[in-house]
Amino acid sequence: MKLIQFASITKKIALASFGLFLLLFLPVHLGINLCLLREDGGEWYRNASHFMGTNYIVKVFEIVLMACVLLHIVVAILLTIENFMARPVRYKVRTKTKTPFMSRYMIWTGGIVACFLVLHFINFYFVKLDIVEGKYSANIEQVDKAFQEKALKLQKGELNEKDQAALMAQYQAISQISPDKMDKGQKNMVNLTKEEVEIYCGKDFKHKEPDFYTMSQELFAKKSYSFIYILVFLVLGFHLYHAINSLAQTFGLSHKKYSPVIEWVSVIYAVVVPIGFAIIPLWIMFVK
Amino acid sequence: MDFTLKIWRQENRKAKGRFETYKISNISPDCSFLEMLDILNESLVDKLSHPVCFDNDCREGICGMCGLYINGHPHGPDSAVTTCQLHMRKFSDGETITIEPWRAKPFPIIRDLIVDRTALDKIIQEGGYVSATTGGVPDGNAILISKHKADEAMDSASCIGCGACVAACKNASAMLFVSAKVSQLALLPQGKPEAAIRVQNMVAKMDDLGFGNCTNTYACEAECPKQIKRSNIARMNREFICAKVASEESTKR
Repeated sequence: MKLIQFASITKKIALASFGLFLLLFLPVHLGINLCLLREDGGEWYRNASHFMGTNYIVKVFEIVLMACVLLHIVVAILLTIENFMARPVRYKVRTKTKTPFMSRYMIWTGGIVACFLVLHFINFYFVKLDIVEGKYSANIEQVDKAFQEKALKLQKGELNEKDQAALMAQYQAISQISPDKMDKGQKNMVNLTKEEVEIYCGKDFKHKEPDFYTMSQELFAKKSYSFIYILVFLVLGFHLYHAINSLAQTFGLSHKKYSPVIEWVSVIYAVVVPIGFAIIPLWIMFVK
Repeated sequence: MDFTLKIWRQENRKAKGRFETYKISNISPDCSFLEMLDILNESLVDKLSHPVCFDNDCREGICGMCGLYINGHPHGPDSAVTTCQLHMRKFSDGETITIEPWRAKPFPIIRDLIVDRTALDKIIQEGGYVSATTGGVPDGNAILISKHKADEAMDSASCIGCGACVAACKNASAMLFVSAKVSQLALLPQGKPEAAIRVQNMVAKMDDLGFGNCTNTYACEAECPKQIKRSNIARMNREFICAKVASEESTKR
């Protein structure tokens, strides 16, 4: 009995292809995360988050990415079930065959990373999708500018009663902003909840995005979260260690000349990328 | 040398199996593993009990009949040998040796340590052949083949179909076996006419028979008595992709 009526190699190629997209995405994510290391109060990081959240091409790739994450997991589970069923009676003596250590535990290392991904989605991605409530912030200068434009309209008598009421509420909200809500890192930024940002910025204000910078700073301030984060990237490193060369094998790329190169690229990628991610909490803990 | 043997005993395919422990002594270090089992069986027959059933034929490492899972290794702890070529000097005196049959869904147990490996034959039947013209005998060297290709094809063809790759694989996958059989023909011009359909048919049969999927762990390569290389698997993947993309022939189910 085969779970899905595709050839085993087809399923493996699918698994590898979804994984390849994830491999390509990871350095992009790393690039954005490394903006956190800049001492600019989150300016670069917020700009990068803004770009990733609003660019239409990125939005299309976001769907592709989520599909790849999901399908990579689903196909991996299907293959693992099939593999388990192929040996109904197990050996009494555990195998003593020497094989690359990481290759044997791909489903487990992948499972751990997937569990972290759920946490990561709750912390960030679902906030963006408006499923989970996050932290918001707004730039006072920009809000003031938008407010004054609307005030001008009011003077000209171009606003209806409803808009006038909203403008009054906004005026009150702006005048009531207490100094403790001002962002400590970046000038002119004010930290708010979602309801506050609605009233404060006005309904049509464009930059009403969750403030991922503040949210990530708060998470990394927790020692337990940083510890889990570093541990997960160690596990991801193990997972990636068997990723690129395994992928090449599945795609049929095996050659005396370039196979050793692939082997090296695989190792370098598996070391550099997770270290790049793990540096961030370490930096925040020990350097900042 | 003295040994304690823990051997899997099972009356037939459907019976419930169990491990039985036997003590055996005065075994020469130069005794082969199968000879050691012969000595055990003689003593069992003397006691009027049923001997331990195990597969064997040529006893010179070329037929692929023998195959036992010994202490966590297919064909035992030695490398690049079949069970018949394994000698007792590879074990330490007084060691407990656990002997199990190949474990895989497509390899049902016939009795004790003998498994039915017809599944491998069925895969061969799906495509392990080439078309030949009738008529006069062709000139021996009419088709030019490079030395490199000939050597590689010969290496792939050295697979004896013992099933150690399936036994070693944590997924009971037969990819190394099938890839060797695909490669030996795909590498040569004689194998080209059926190349596209061969790989599809053989992979389809392998999947139908219930073998697992390859996870590129390469336990197969590590345990293969004929040292079939993992590059065969990559070649089969390549052949499969090319066949699926470029050929209009496909497996009829």
